[in-house]
Parts: sequence; C-alpha cells; structure tokens
Amino acid sequence: MTKTLHRRWRMAVMLVASGFYCLPALALPDWSGVWAMTGGTVFDAATRSGPGGSTTPGLRQRPPYTAEYEAKYLANMALRDKGVLPDPNSMCGIPAGFPRIFNLPDVYEFAVTDKQVWILSENGPNVLRIYTDGRAHPPVADRWPTHTGDSVGHWEGDTLVFDTLSLHSSESGNTMIDRTGLVLSDAAHVVTRMHIAEGDVMVVEMTIEDAKALTAPWVVTKRFNRQPAGTRVYDYACNENNRNPIDPATGWTYTIGPDGKIMDQSPSAAGSEE
Amino acid sequence: MKPVRSPLPWLLMLVAGGAFAHHSDAMFERAKVLELTGTIKEFQFTNPHTWVQVEVKNDKGESVEWSLEWGSPNQLGRQGIRPSTFPAGAAVTIRTNPMKDGTAAGAFIGAKLADGTIIGSWE
Repeated sequence: MTKTLHRRWRMAVMLVASGFYCLPALALPDWSGVWAMTGGTVFDAATRSGPGGSTTPGLRQRPPYTAEYEAKYLANMALRDKGVLPDPNSMCGIPAGFPRIFNLPDVYEFAVTDKQVWILSENGPNVLRIYTDGRAHPPVADRWPTHTGDSVGHWEGDTLVFDTLSLHSSESGNTMIDRTGLVLSDAAHVVTRMHIAEGDVMVVEMTIEDAKALTAPWVVTKRFNRQPAGTRVYDYACNENNRNPIDPATGWTYTIGPDGKIMDQSPSAAGSEE
Repeated sequence: MKPVRSPLPWLLMLVAGGAFAHHSDAMFERAKVLELTGTIKEFQFTNPHTWVQVEVKNDKGESVEWSLEWGSPNQLGRQGIRPSTFPAGAAVTIRTNPMKDGTAAGAFIGAKLADGTIIGSWE
C-alpha cells in the first residue's frame, strides 16, 4: 500500500516537472507579421491634413510646452509651413531615434523574444531594443544620450510596458520627433505601453514627460495594422538615389536632375519669399 | 476619359498618399495638374523615391527630359509596381503636379500607356 502511494507520488511529481519543462518560460503574445502605421507621420494627429498627412499645415493640439519650448516649436512650425524646416531625418544618415521610430512610413516588424523585444522599421532602417530580462537602466555615470536611448521593460499580461530615457536633446540639432518640428529636451522620459487591441490593431501609447520642455505629461497614441500574410519587407537606403538633398543653411529641398546637377533654385537664391 | 478596366488602378491610387514622406513637397504646385505626352526614357526604381524619366517635345519641337518623382520602391512594390512597369521607349501620357519654378520636374500623379493601362491615379 505504502509502496503504491510512493510510486503514485513519484509519478505525479515527474508529470508536473515534465509539464513545466515543456512550457515556455513566458507566454509571450504573437506579434508576428508585418505592420504599417495608420494616420500621418505626425505626433499630433490634429496637424494632419491633406494628401499624405505629413506635409500640409493644419491645426494642432498643443503639447503642454513650457513657454521656451512653445516658442521653439512655433518657430519650427513656421519653417515647416514654408517647406524649409531642416528636418535632420530628411537628410539621410542618422537614425530616426525614439520616439520617432513609432512615427514612420513604410512597414514594421515587432520581434518578441524571451529577453528582448525589437522594434524594426523598414524606413531607415531603424532598430529599437527593449530589454525585458529584468535589467534596470544603467547608472547615470554609465549612460550617455543616444538616438534611441535606453529602454527596459516588462510584460503585464499581453501588454509590453517599457521605460525609455537617455535620449538626445533636440538642442543638439540632430533630432526631431516629427516633421512639424516637435522637439524635446535631454530630460525626456517616456513610458510606453504596447498591446494588440480588438481588430488586430497594435496600439502604442507613449506618455512623454520632460521636466524642461513640458509642463505636464503628454500622451501620444500611434496605431499599426497587421498587413496581409506573406507581406515582404525590403531594403531602405536613403542615399541610394537621393535626388532631393537639403541645404542645411536654408532648409530648402533641392531637386537633382538626370545629369546629376541641381535643377531648381531655392526661393532665397531666386530672391523670392517662399 | 476611358473607364477604369481593372481593380489594379484603384489599388495603385492608394500609393499617392504619403508619397513624399522623406522630404518636404513645397517645391510642387499641388493645385496644378500638368499633362505631358512623351516616351519613357527610364524608370529609376530606387530609394528613397522612384523617378519616371520621360522625353517630352516642347513647343519648339525640342526634346526635354522630365523627371517625375513617385513613392518609395518598397511601398510601390508591395502594391504591384515593378521596375518593368514603365518600359523604356513606351509611349505614355503622364499627369503631374509640376515644380513651382518651371523646372522640368514634378510629383507623379498617374500615367496612361498606349494600350490604355492606367498606373497610379487618373481621376
């Protein structure tokens, strides 16, 4: 009788152990496939109007800017409206960075592994690495500003929550958050929540805090639709045949002709007020 | 104007939006549509934008090469456009938002080939 009980206990323990062994370490959501952002390539949806939604001036919601950053943004918007905002992302060669990586045309892949999540944008291409292995941000002395900053996160069910800091300041002149000239300071700190909502829509909600640029947290939500099965992702090479170099001095976008020479004149060179 | 003969042109219209996400489109006269008739010289199916090069006769009968800028090869490729879509030497009528300064270039809107095939938007 006793031996039989012991055998049954041993059998039960083995079955439970083998079950745990076969289970993945974490039940991760299925974010496979190819995704494309909906809406225009602006952070403030109210700035979207006209074909393309990214270049036509429109009304905007107001990020809760401090007076200093409101002035910077209005100045950039004025340049945008004239088509001469020197957006560094249009000049080829630098990453889109974060949070702009969630604000690009073309398509995306969201690669989930048990220790990291990678946001891969075809445009650029760009990569955002989010560590989900339990690590913390590096100590202040061991980090420096980068385009994508440092992202650490965890899973809350099927929602990825991650924290990003150590970002380049827009003051350095080599980063902007979108093509309206939205800028942040080196104090920017973003908490992002990503999950798949009803309708197979990836919802990315970013809560942006910036003690220098914003007077309150600013929440921006971007949405992505899963593309048909079998959709392919291709190379993107901004300098492959870039016939639209931007004059860094004036912000004007030139057009290169088939002979390799500039075809047009910038409005300033032509003496007009574009 | 010929009626649309297949769903493909409707599909291709989708690529018009966001075609110039890479840079400002302030150089184009968006309110003006210019129709050009000529011959395809080259279709540059390259990043970050594709370019349709077309030989067009001007008022003096001289050949002028126009450069029509379109979307990225990636976006267009996913929607059925191929490097072979515009074969060199093909007769074509193209609609474009021309450059404001009169340069022989513009933003590509749509094209009609000799056999009636419509590429892009032709509304």
